[in-house]
Amino acid sequence: MIAAVERSASEIDDLDTLVRLHWLRVFRFALASLRDPDAAASVAQDCFLRAYRSRERFRGDCSTQAWLMRIAVNLIRDYARNRRLQFWKRAQASAVDIEAAGQCVPDGGASPESEAVAKEQLAAVWNAAVGLPERQRTVFLLRFVEDMDLLEIAAATGMKEGTVKVHLFRALQAVRERIGRSQ
Amino acid sequence: MSQHLSSREVSQWIVGDRTPQQQRHVGQCAECGAELARMEAALSLFRGSVRHWSDGQVRFPRPLAPTRGSRGYPARPLPVRWALAAAALLVLAVVPIYRNAQDRQRQADLARADALLLEQVDAEVSRAVPRPMEPLAKLVSWDFSSTDGSDEKTRNEEIR
Repeated sequence: MIAAVERSASEIDDLDTLVRLHWLRVFRFALASLRDPDAAASVAQDCFLRAYRSRERFRGDCSTQAWLMRIAVNLIRDYARNRRLQFWKRAQASAVDIEAAGQCVPDGGASPESEAVAKEQLAAVWNAAVGLPERQRTVFLLRFVEDMDLLEIAAATGMKEGTVKVHLFRALQAVRERIGRSQ
Repeated sequence: MSQHLSSREVSQWIVGDRTPQQQRHVGQCAECGAELARMEAALSLFRGSVRHWSDGQVRFPRPLAPTRGSRGYPARPLPVRWALAAAALLVLAVVPIYRNAQDRQRQADLARADALLLEQVDAEVSRAVPRPMEPLAKLVSWDFSSTDGSDEKTRNEEIR
């Protein structure tokens, strides 16, 4: 634990290292949340600069990743609100990205029928994620895209673990409902 | 537990809330096992899809301001950086103009000094006698420069 905290402390003192180790995850989370590559890059860049500037306030009581994600969650929320852009509503209207992203089914040598089913399921999850309320979507993405556990998500979002569970449960119910409808 | 997992229980299972009875049931029930596997496969597919999509869209960061060399100095905000760049450009533009004006002024002063010196030299060169002897020359007044004899007339009149 002490070693992890020391490692975190040294990581955040060096911006280059911080970016090298965590850029892709922060960018991916921002992209999945905003669905706009330029906005995601801008948020990710801002996230690292803020993290670096406020590194003295990092007490090491959570992982560097959770800390960065917390900053990213706040930036994404502010970004969407400040610019008054309803990214997800816009995405719902166009659905171009969903189709593009829905084509990214890993090729496991499955039969055409299985592949078609997989694409349908994938589209259903994407559509469900699009329609989730902000907090549920954030928790859902952190859990099922970033593989963060409940405690890390709690640290990243500032919610209690129980609240994270409730949001995750509701998000999953929405996804299950959507998958069920697609079949 | 003989009943299959409800929709709520499947979601709770995935969140991580599992009772020992549910675990026992899922271990024995192919239908519930298949339902959970289907759900987990869909989520895994989603994860892979987002990651694949993200990898294709990734934008790498622009060089961030506080690098290894300037550790400890926070990055200046963008407007400040623009202002500094504009100030630098302004200095670069103004300095040559200022220096040019200074050079011209210096050359004009030099030319004026040269002209003054030449005037003094001319004056010295054009003297008939050296400066210390000028009072004597005035008394004797041998001026041979005049050829029309007017000076001689003047002298004669003075003698008379």
